[in-house]
Amino acid sequence: MTEHDPKPKGGPAGAASGHSRRDFLRGSGLAAASAVLTGPATVALDEAKAAESDPKVLSGDVRISLKVNGEERSCTVEPRSTLLDTLRNRLDVTGPKRVCDRASCGACTTIIDGDPVYSCTTLAVACQGKKIETLESFDTGEKGVPHAFHQNDGLMCGYCTPGFVTACKALLDENPNPSLEDVKRGLDGNICRCGTYIGVFQAALAAAKAMKGA
Amino acid sequence: MAVWPSNPRLIGTRIPRIDGLGKASGRTKYPSDVRPEGTLFGVMLYSPYAHAKVKSIDTTAAEKMPGVKAVHVIAGAGKTLRYQGDDIAAVAAETEEQARDAARAIQVDYEVLPHVVTESQATAENAPQIVRDAGNQRRGRATVKGKPEEDMAKADVTIEATYSLPVITHVCLETHGLTARWDDSDHITAWASTQAVGPTASQLADAMKLPASNVRVLTEVMGGGFGSKFGPDVWGITAAELSKKAGGRPVRMFLDRIQEHLAAGNRPSAIGKVKLGASKDGKLVAMIAETTGVGGISRGAQFPLPYIYMDVPASRTHTDIFVNCGDARAMRAPGHPQGCAIMEAAMDDLADKLGIDPLEFRLKNLPPDDFKTPVYMAEVKMGAELIGWSANRQPRGQNGKGPIRRGLGMALHTWGGGGAKDKQVACIINPDGSVEVRSATQDLGTGARTVLAIITAELLGLKVSDVKSNIGDSSFPPGQNSGGSTTTPSMSPPTFSAVSEARDELFKRIAPGLNAQPADLTLKDGQVLVKGEAKMSWKDACRKLGMMPISVTGKFQEGLSSVGVGGCQFADVSVDIETGVVKINKMVAIQDTGLIIDKLTWESQVYGGVIGGLNYGLFEERVMDPTTGVMLNPDMELYKLAGASDIPEIIVRAYEPDEVKARGVIGVGEPPTVSTAAAIGNAVTNAIGVRVTEWPMSPRNVLNALAKASKEGKA
Repeated sequence: MTEHDPKPKGGPAGAASGHSRRDFLRGSGLAAASAVLTGPATVALDEAKAAESDPKVLSGDVRISLKVNGEERSCTVEPRSTLLDTLRNRLDVTGPKRVCDRASCGACTTIIDGDPVYSCTTLAVACQGKKIETLESFDTGEKGVPHAFHQNDGLMCGYCTPGFVTACKALLDENPNPSLEDVKRGLDGNICRCGTYIGVFQAALAAAKAMKGA
Repeated sequence: MAVWPSNPRLIGTRIPRIDGLGKASGRTKYPSDVRPEGTLFGVMLYSPYAHAKVKSIDTTAAEKMPGVKAVHVIAGAGKTLRYQGDDIAAVAAETEEQARDAARAIQVDYEVLPHVVTESQATAENAPQIVRDAGNQRRGRATVKGKPEEDMAKADVTIEATYSLPVITHVCLETHGLTARWDDSDHITAWASTQAVGPTASQLADAMKLPASNVRVLTEVMGGGFGSKFGPDVWGITAAELSKKAGGRPVRMFLDRIQEHLAAGNRPSAIGKVKLGASKDGKLVAMIAETTGVGGISRGAQFPLPYIYMDVPASRTHTDIFVNCGDARAMRAPGHPQGCAIMEAAMDDLADKLGIDPLEFRLKNLPPDDFKTPVYMAEVKMGAELIGWSANRQPRGQNGKGPIRRGLGMALHTWGGGGAKDKQVACIINPDGSVEVRSATQDLGTGARTVLAIITAELLGLKVSDVKSNIGDSSFPPGQNSGGSTTTPSMSPPTFSAVSEARDELFKRIAPGLNAQPADLTLKDGQVLVKGEAKMSWKDACRKLGMMPISVTGKFQEGLSSVGVGGCQFADVSVDIETGVVKINKMVAIQDTGLIIDKLTWESQVYGGVIGGLNYGLFEERVMDPTTGVMLNPDMELYKLAGASDIPEIIVRAYEPDEVKARGVIGVGEPPTVSTAAAIGNAVTNAIGVRVTEWPMSPRNVLNALAKASKEGKA
């Protein structure tokens, strides 16, 4: 990984003070770098440590390695590259979709260290050392969420579907016995334009049943 | 005349769509997912102003940016940009980030011109003339039947009101665009998110001065169109231009969400000043309507009115108003949701004034000679029972005294649907037993691909999974563009023809080997039957074809499809009169669409139509800022769409007695979205006792209606 000393060598005085995009990148980049060594649970601690230690920034092309669906994948990104664009444009993992591109619609939902996140507003450099799961890794058999969506017609054009399937998987991992109300709450971070919600609800309830082997 | 099988094994049952698992597991590649070897990323530069002239444009800096391989100018010096989002230039670069930087580095010197972006701005005195010299308006000639003024004067009861609906945008989740690649010096392949592979190919060929046969457009699946994706558009042609400049490397060009809202289509607004009169016994006598609508910088905003009800003396004058906004495009049942909302609001208001149950009032005024009238009668009866109309509905404004008021409303709708008669499908039966149907149509998520497979499997006695349904390729026999609920009714008859003829050809070729006449052969459960007795498996029979597959192109036949449907919807809502928040408790949708091929995907279409209408009824609105001329909500948070928690119980029923099924295939994409917003508006009005004249039924509009009524001493 390319890391630079952030202290301005020639730039205008005060360029390094105040809140800048650079500071933000510094925090998330370093946190991720530390996470490689110490595991995901200690991110907050790492952030604190990073703030104390000599800060580093990332700029230009950055070679990173991401653990996507159990496989270590390397690529070159920019510090500003989102996880979504990195998956789609650099690693050909196109299950997660870019729709609103600002954390409103959920089509880009990806599971990071067990939590569903909007990958369109997550930086790729901040995801190193984390476990990234997209729906391509889900069980497509009869006990899997994709199967339930297929059987219950929980999709039409299907462009929101990866996000719904992923959010549904994350919901069921946390709550294997959801009520209809739980399902609605669990999927409220996602938007469908074709109006497939009724099929989606049925799919989520059916998937919960199937996962329990009922 | 051809007829559908009378005791179908598959048709009309619930069959999961054949491409569903690929979509639900993230494996299917959408046009926006395709990244052919060497793909460059395209980014558009579009106008930040509602109205401006390009004084100069300089791409020198952009061309030198890292990774940039091509720059293309669309609006050069002297060109006028007519709305925010109008195309200026485009860049292709190795990465999307680089392309965005380069687009930003294009230097444009603008002369900002005065704009109008709302109807009131456009029609104000001294408004800047943006399109025409006649006040930014195109006034249509009045359509007059009889002497409505005279009849209106004789009416026992009349109402007069102005109802309005906002501009909404399509919000296709996959934005408009395509990836274009020059395969060699005179061939292009494009992976396009389109509702029309054929026209997209021919328009692209035309723009690039290539023979139509040298351009191939592929749309295996696509992420929503709703009427807005029928050609390559400026950005698609731009992708091809950039690819050419970059030595043929594929250029991926899909709009960002903002430009998608601004430039890729919208449903026009509608304002209707309506006077409606009836006799004491509840018969309509006359209607007078003056309507306007905003369809963008050049498109009209027509909608049907009068709508549904019997033909009485009526006059209608419509005026299109032009603004500095992106043009309207067809959107799911173009015109009908507007016409339906305005008509059905007026009908409800008149019924209220007459003191007649609005359901009875509607039934009394159905056109006596229309074949749809008995359909509506039966559908309304079904719907009324399912919503509990007689038990739960109170007269307008008599819904209690607390802050939460419950109300019921309903509306009727119609749509044509029906199919084209000039489309073709090829059916290929291979010696290994595999079966393929092909046509240059596409599946927008309606289930069209599955419909073709179901028909094929039905006629050949096979499983749906045995059939390969190949669509979304412009090089296939010409298929239907997916608009107007016409895909299924256009494609089903030629599929029926192709498969029947291919089957007959197979019978002819294998009958001698079975010591039978072709007429003795039938197909069932993967077997060939001779006089009803299984003699040979499908695979063995096909092996008898030797080296020569069967390939038949089928055309339209009479008897398999029809035009014209009716439907009705009911809404049960609760309105908080202190906050103006509307919550929908339940919707009921009854729809006839002739013969249903796949009940599962049919239901999804109806649910989707209702939810689309719920968005129109409660949430959606393009908000333009008159001062700056820009759209304030080109996103998916302030542009409101229903999420999971907004979805009520929805009951969907097909009206499909034998005589309706016998009409054949009609198409269902559009009708079920037409009357939802109308029914919701009527339910809200029934709940709170005053008419909310402006859609959507947002807290603002509900509270404004209550405040206005209170000021007038009505509530």
